[in-house]
Amino acid sequence: MHVHELNPKRSVITMIIFVIIIIAGLLTLTNPRLKYALDPDQTISLVINDNDNISPEQLDNMMTGSTENITLIDIRNHYVFARGHIPGATNVSAVELLENDNIRWLKNLKKNGTVVIIYGEDQLEANGPWMVLQQIGFNNVKTLLGGYRYYLAINDKVSPVKEYIPEKAAYDYAEVAKVVDIEEDNNSNKKKTTIVRRKKKGKAVAGGC
Amino acid sequence: MGPLIPQGIITGQWDFVIALLIGAAFGFILEASGFSSSRNIVGVFYGYNFVVLRVFFTAMIVAMVGLLFFSYFGWIDLNLVFVLPTYVNAMLLGGFIMGLGFVIGGFCPGTSYTAVAIGKIDGMVFTVGTFIGVLIFSEAFPLFENFYTANNLGGITIGEMFSVTNEVVAFIFVLMAIVAFYVTWLIEKKVRKNMTEYKFE
Amino acid sequence: MNRNYIFLATLMILLAAGLLILPERHNYQQIKPEDLMWDIVQTQRYVTTDQVAQMIIEGDPTLELIDVRSAKEFESFSLTNTINIPLDSLMSPNYSDYLGIEDINVVFYSNDDIKADQAWVIAKRMGYNSLYVMDGGLNCWIKTIIKPIEPPETASLSEHDLYQFRKGASVYFTGAKIAAPDENNKASVKIVRRKKGAAVAGGC
Repeated sequence: MHVHELNPKRSVITMIIFVIIIIAGLLTLTNPRLKYALDPDQTISLVINDNDNISPEQLDNMMTGSTENITLIDIRNHYVFARGHIPGATNVSAVELLENDNIRWLKNLKKNGTVVIIYGEDQLEANGPWMVLQQIGFNNVKTLLGGYRYYLAINDKVSPVKEYIPEKAAYDYAEVAKVVDIEEDNNSNKKKTTIVRRKKKGKAVAGGC
Repeated sequence: MGPLIPQGIITGQWDFVIALLIGAAFGFILEASGFSSSRNIVGVFYGYNFVVLRVFFTAMIVAMVGLLFFSYFGWIDLNLVFVLPTYVNAMLLGGFIMGLGFVIGGFCPGTSYTAVAIGKIDGMVFTVGTFIGVLIFSEAFPLFENFYTANNLGGITIGEMFSVTNEVVAFIFVLMAIVAFYVTWLIEKKVRKNMTEYKFE
Repeated sequence: MNRNYIFLATLMILLAAGLLILPERHNYQQIKPEDLMWDIVQTQRYVTTDQVAQMIIEGDPTLELIDVRSAKEFESFSLTNTINIPLDSLMSPNYSDYLGIEDINVVFYSNDDIKADQAWVIAKRMGYNSLYVMDGGLNCWIKTIIKPIEPPETASLSEHDLYQFRKGASVYFTGAKIAAPDENNKASVKIVRRKKGAAVAGGC
């Protein structure tokens, strides 16, 4: 005689408890507030294609043309925003972007077909927030190429800056890394003189002792 | 959330406390299922009592389905759960030896301790035997080492091996278990002519 | 056959069948978008080219450099002991072993730092930790480590120290032949500086 023979209802009771736990688990299964709309592979193809950069000229055209609905968001913090920003920009810092009110606002913008352009100090600052917004389904979000810094530089009347291409190799790396051997000779000559100078400086102090 | 220790929710210092609690519960259930009686255990071999098969199959399918549900709810991360590496040769031979010992001795290592706990002398003799066996194996380990480590498949699961999802494996096992319960019930009925069905009150 | 056993068996089959028909939900091991945004706003993920150079020179065993540029670019130039994981195959199972190793710090780099940062965001979302981005990328690497610009004479001592380090690093990374004279120079300069310090300490 075993316990379950004495009271065979026990298996049924245990089983029912087990089922109740599972049902409780299903009921408490909360959906996260924000869900990823893109899986990692889709995100990768998004960043590889990378056609969500709006150049400052395009931005100016869009702002003045008013054929397209656009909203410009400055994702830097309030202090930096107060010091200077692109006219017409709204200031919502990156962390605030995901607050309930702002998510609702962004959803409305998406529904209206408004293009949202976000910018930070440079290209890099807007990159992460742009990726997050895209990944949670705001496919109307674009970034301002080069960020605020490039916007200022390109509108600089005195010395406008040349084109900015993100991820462009500024050097032929293999070449630079090799050539240095030869250039080094010139450099080291130059450097030697400097070092002599510095040594003198050192000696002068030591001599003063 | 889980598993608790690999994720650092419970520190490793609680290992022994948790082992003690789980061990007590395990021993209680073994004894309550009638596993301290060697008649029940070897009954599988002689075909008159399949309680061992039923208990372990039930434990297995409940744990399987439960873990998969828990993993679905995010309560446990199955990737962090330790999976014993599979050494094909050693496990085949070990299983053979264990089965042999099961029928000859009337206990498996775990159940022999529950038998000791309720004061069975055959259980005590059996545990002494296991200790002698462990000692011989440990001392002679260098001789078997190559055999022991041969054909290592690593911590592989059935699902990974046949590239099906764990849910499918669990479903198949539940069906297998229930078919096994029914078949063993038929066999028991045939073998035990005087068997009376369990009566629920 | 008892009815209770039939009930139990049916329940178990239903539960197992429930597992099969549950809608797929594999999101929970990824970090939440809110947490991802929070991590993005922090800037601890950026390491300078100087830090990377120092770790390479010292042979730091915890450093794992990952080049996210294309295989072609990688072959023409890469840093010492770098693994090439092009951004488009970051999630391919071939490379998943390189991420999430305990006690290993992964540093992503690309030409600039945008692509490396994108790789960082994706890997971070997948729940990997100890990930870093080399600030400025290879452009900055060439500018600071390979071709360092000497600071003006009026610059602070620490700037000159940094320049000396970069000069040494440059030699380390571009070829050992010039190493001898340069190292000497560097050493002698250091000695001079130390003397200066000692003199002051001597109560002159």
